[in-house]
Amino acid sequence: MRYPYLQKILALIVLFVCLSSSGADEVIQQPYDFPPQLPLSATAESVYAMARPKLLQIRTLLDVAGRQTTLGSGFLVSADGFAVTNYHVVSQYVLEPKTYRLEYATPDGLHGPLKLMAIDVANDLAVVQLDKHEQPVFEFNKRALRGTLSKGERVYSMGNPLDLGFTIVEGNYNGLVEKSYNERIHFSGAINAGMSGGPAVTADGRVVGINVAKQIGSELVSFLVPAHFAAALVERAKTSPQLSLINVRGEIGRQLMKWQEGFYKAVADQGFRLSPYGPYKAPESNAAWVNCWAETNVDQSSRPRATVNVTNCRTDTWVFVANDLNTGPINLSHSYVKGVDLNRFQFAAFLSQRYQLPWVGTPSGNRHTGQRCQEDFISIPPSKDRPPLHAVWCARAYREFEGLYDVSMLIVTQDRNDEALVSQLGMRGVSYPSAVALAKRFLGSIRWAK
Amino acid sequence: MGEVIWVEVLSRHRDVAARYRCSGTEIHIGRGYDNDVVIDDPYIAPRHIRIARNSEGVLVAADLGTANGLFADKSHDRKNRIVINGDAPIRIGRTYLRIRDEKYAVAPERIVKLPGRRSWLSVLYLALPLLVMQALSAWLGETVEQRLSHYIFPVLGIALITLGWTTLWAILSRVFSGHANFEANLVIALKGMLIFVIGDVLVDYAAFSLSWGAMLGYVYIGAWLLLATICFFHVREIGPSRLPLKGSIVAALAIAAISTQSLVQSENHVGTYHQNYVRRLKPPAFRLAPEKTDDAFFSEVEQLRAKLDRSRSEDSDADGTADVSDADD
Repeated sequence: MRYPYLQKILALIVLFVCLSSSGADEVIQQPYDFPPQLPLSATAESVYAMARPKLLQIRTLLDVAGRQTTLGSGFLVSADGFAVTNYHVVSQYVLEPKTYRLEYATPDGLHGPLKLMAIDVANDLAVVQLDKHEQPVFEFNKRALRGTLSKGERVYSMGNPLDLGFTIVEGNYNGLVEKSYNERIHFSGAINAGMSGGPAVTADGRVVGINVAKQIGSELVSFLVPAHFAAALVERAKTSPQLSLINVRGEIGRQLMKWQEGFYKAVADQGFRLSPYGPYKAPESNAAWVNCWAETNVDQSSRPRATVNVTNCRTDTWVFVANDLNTGPINLSHSYVKGVDLNRFQFAAFLSQRYQLPWVGTPSGNRHTGQRCQEDFISIPPSKDRPPLHAVWCARAYREFEGLYDVSMLIVTQDRNDEALVSQLGMRGVSYPSAVALAKRFLGSIRWAK
Repeated sequence: MGEVIWVEVLSRHRDVAARYRCSGTEIHIGRGYDNDVVIDDPYIAPRHIRIARNSEGVLVAADLGTANGLFADKSHDRKNRIVINGDAPIRIGRTYLRIRDEKYAVAPERIVKLPGRRSWLSVLYLALPLLVMQALSAWLGETVEQRLSHYIFPVLGIALITLGWTTLWAILSRVFSGHANFEANLVIALKGMLIFVIGDVLVDYAAFSLSWGAMLGYVYIGAWLLLATICFFHVREIGPSRLPLKGSIVAALAIAAISTQSLVQSENHVGTYHQNYVRRLKPPAFRLAPEKTDDAFFSEVEQLRAKLDRSRSEDSDADGTADVSDADD
């Protein structure tokens, strides 16, 4: 009963699709000419033929071994050798530039070193620069930049899946992902590991998005980063000095800080509504991108001695920072527990099973400080419409990124012997003021239903 | 009638292996059959020592010109004469001897602890509350369908642990003192268990009532100290001699255990450390800590930030050096 909803959450976890295994590949050159009668796939043929010289495989190599540790894809966007890929494809190099180096490989088998020019961690993008400058380049689709593509439009995604060779995949544009704070295109096509950072283009060969992730436990549900983020990052890379890897953690920290400011402001601006839980009312976000699921134990085969009604809400705002550090989402849950035939001690014991801090990710000694907690009994003297509470606040700091924390908060009502509301609030990669502001509002709006 | 001198041959563990009653003012000890006490030790001379009173009337052992000589107990200093003390043995050849006269004052008789009805009654008085408490806490923690086994297992468990622990000490007691003293050891074990169980409940409720979950992180210190105290009483039951030494050994072991666990905890502090909070809730009526306002709570929360930032800067030195080395690029 304790984590029945875990499976659902697992099924919804998004897999970032860079490839971290090796395999031989052989690029087969396909001659390009239009046959007189165009079959349906001819568009894909022509798109690939146009795109082929502009495609790249982006390799992260372990410097001492000279062997690949991560593979992704990329594409050329400007005459001075700029190419776009995902941040998560180059993240190992970004974070440990002394251990890794970057290399590109073209469909023709050419390869050479890459310079890292700019990163956009929140949108999982990076701009790299090649040493040679004579290839043709992709253009961004104007309608995609304006956001006026129509649902169902055919989109071709390209990249090097599983290191099997460059591939073109046909699929459909399905608009932006609904119920998502981060802007992502829903692409109904097969994106696989290794295609990360590759372009998705319309039939005219213009880029609408960048392959970034697929939903595991589902079929052909894939995600693209909208082209306008890439266009903006390329612009930034052209006008700003090259990203300094000496203080790259400072830059990542600034980007994460800026992203969470916008995100927590949006959460606050959307506001909360109070939903009833037995004799209590508890806050739920109005934001459409906060996904809520309900859970109960009343249908259990052995009759439970206390009923539990849970609402679990979360935002799927994952931000990839490193292979062992994903941050971003908020989870928020309320469990209304009512004893059936438990005495007050037994009810407290039952309640304790639900009285657990929300999970904010595996602690890592390299990435986080130890967790510290504050707990107290709380009441509001001025207004008498709230039950007394017991609240726990636990936080740990990010060691690499100043000013960012993981915070988990746990609240239980303390007014009755046979019913209670347990509320959890988990925040990852949040600034202290943002976390305190949301927690204050969260805690302050738990009420008695009148 | 002349005086009596007792010569006792001791084992290496200083138990009496043989005891000889000698009368007369002067006795001889050796391997030859013309002695008053004959000892079959090849390292002893045919006529090894003479024991007689000196002018002050004290018994003195004198070497009779032997090759291997006369020694006091384990000493390596050869003596020609040794003034006899009824407690300290002397050594000739490879044999330890203790010589006492009839005036030697023995210790008063020890009181026999009868394993009578009263002793078993005190066991009952201790065992009953322990088992009742165990069953009660099983009942109060019952959150699923009631089953008899939910009560039998914890009760049986604590009974078996107590009996096992007592048996261990009874065996040790039997080995070292010759008496198992099962009842006495059982009383000690039961008292210890009872204190442990009551203490556990008190700490549990205090943590909730005072909203002081961090305290739960230090309960192990009390547990180790209690265990050491129990062990000390068991050791005392085996034999009352050299209590300060035994006590300090037990204390040293307890300190070693506590410091090891503290070290492990403080090392975990760096990474995966998770501060304790009150996980086991109690009925709201047990609250003792004053209720705070939201603002008071969040101002404490703000203070936590400074602590986190401090521990971040303390152990971010490693990152700092990494960044510096990156600068070499």
